[in-house]
Amino acid sequence: MHPLNWVVVVGWLTYIVYHGISKSRGTKEIEGYFLANRSLPWWAVGLSVMATQLSAVTMIGTTGQGATDGMRFIQFYFGLPLAMVILGVTLVPFLRGAGVYTAYEYLERRFDAKTRSLTAFLFLLSRGMSCGAIISAPAIVFSAIFGWNISWSVALIGVPAVLYTMVGGVQAVTWVDVKQMMLIVTALVAVVITLLVQIPVSPDQALHVAGAAGRLRVFDFSFSLTNQYTFWSGLIGGTFLMLSYFGTDQSQVQRYLSAKSIDEARSSLLMSAYWKIPLQALVLLVGVLVFVFYEFHTPPLLFNPAAERAVRAAQPAAYAELERRVREEPGTRDSVRARALALSAAVTGQPSKDVNYVIPRFVLDHLPIGLAGLFIAAVIAAAMNAISGELNSLSTTTVIDFYRRWVRPEASDAHFLLVSRAATAFWGIFASIVATYAGSLGSLIEVVNRFGSYFYGSILGVFLLAMVPMARGLGAFVGLIAGMTVVGVVSRAAPSIAFLWYNVIGAATVVLVGCVLSLVPSRR
Amino acid sequence: MSAPPPADDRNRFRRTLVRVMAVQIVTLLLLGLLQYTFTP
Repeated sequence: MHPLNWVVVVGWLTYIVYHGISKSRGTKEIEGYFLANRSLPWWAVGLSVMATQLSAVTMIGTTGQGATDGMRFIQFYFGLPLAMVILGVTLVPFLRGAGVYTAYEYLERRFDAKTRSLTAFLFLLSRGMSCGAIISAPAIVFSAIFGWNISWSVALIGVPAVLYTMVGGVQAVTWVDVKQMMLIVTALVAVVITLLVQIPVSPDQALHVAGAAGRLRVFDFSFSLTNQYTFWSGLIGGTFLMLSYFGTDQSQVQRYLSAKSIDEARSSLLMSAYWKIPLQALVLLVGVLVFVFYEFHTPPLLFNPAAERAVRAAQPAAYAELERRVREEPGTRDSVRARALALSAAVTGQPSKDVNYVIPRFVLDHLPIGLAGLFIAAVIAAAMNAISGELNSLSTTTVIDFYRRWVRPEASDAHFLLVSRAATAFWGIFASIVATYAGSLGSLIEVVNRFGSYFYGSILGVFLLAMVPMARGLGAFVGLIAGMTVVGVVSRAAPSIAFLWYNVIGAATVVLVGCVLSLVPSRR
Repeated sequence: MSAPPPADDRNRFRRTLVRVMAVQIVTLLLLGLLQYTFTP
């Protein structure tokens, strides 16, 4: 990459760390560190909520998906606006009124300590691992593209984020998120404009090219339990997933607990309701336009440069032959690319995951100097936003739901603040280690992700149960275990069922079992 | 359980619900138009 691009990247990272640390002034007690003394304006919280969800996977993987699969992924978010409105009326006033630090703290007040501890533990387990996965996805791509050791890529993303999160707490996380969101949207818009300039036909004709290849097909109204992206799975399964994510996941709950008032907390969620789908459309549109761009320019046979190097070294003649065929017979491009991918899998022993390299390769090969640096900085920014929010919430849950609850309930604020910073550093190091070894932990990460989808809907079920007046602690605890078990059994017995439906199954089981068990008369 | 929300809150929520759903419908219509116009 051109040195000027690196100046942009390093300059931005330095500014962000300085900005984050400067926001730590006044963070002298844990309410300030974890909840910014409940003083943040709605628009900053709203941007932070959106920034936490927009990880580097969105910038690299989702744009790549737009290029290879088109716009239909957007259906995944169709349930989000409805979920935001439901949460605005139900959980937001509930949790704000309860004056809690974590969503799980509320569960002890409503049910019992074991339900709180189990849900908090499940959060720590899944988020701790997913934080590693969030760093590893762009780190692996950067390593392949720039030829770096994976540890350097992890450090480039992880160290700045851990630094400002550890020092500044939620204030630093929120205000840095605001700045980073501006960078990300600017970079995406700049790439769209550059693409429209570089594609040698009018925007209207470019969209016709994309449409002819099926890349602008947004809606699939078929009702299928096995198809991940349909209108109905997005609307129904997506609503449950978003309710679970925004309503019960501490990384999101903590954002709106830091707002000035209940109304400001609601408004911050509604910002996602208004803007999430248009933002995702913009992300996918980048990918669609990159697809159109490569209809007029010869794309690399393999976008993953590490895989390309490996195949060239191991099978030089076969690869040269495939390159010759693409050059001389452009009509065979798709079939030749499929053969190149198969060759790469045979040589490297793993799938090339080429979709994740489409955008980075386009950015480095075709964007003007400076703009490429801006986009790479935006990818790092997206990864940092996601992990800083996660680290802050992991630290909060560790300290509030475990350390203060079970180890040192009576310690001073200064002590808790010190432990909170240590917990942030611990989770940062943990996530970096997971990210560094993610390549060799591939199947383990998959297991953890799958495990996470087993209990997401079930945790939502516990919070729904909390709103049923007759529900009791025994029903909530057993219902939670039953919900996870049923989802586990369904995923084994019918593995073709799309994971979005797990959220519906899990939540429904918990509410049903919880209500039935709550009818059993108490011995006391 | 918390007390029932006051009438002001209910009205504000109703207005918000209508606005969010209106924006959602307009967004979906625009996406539909994109698909309908450019997909043969």
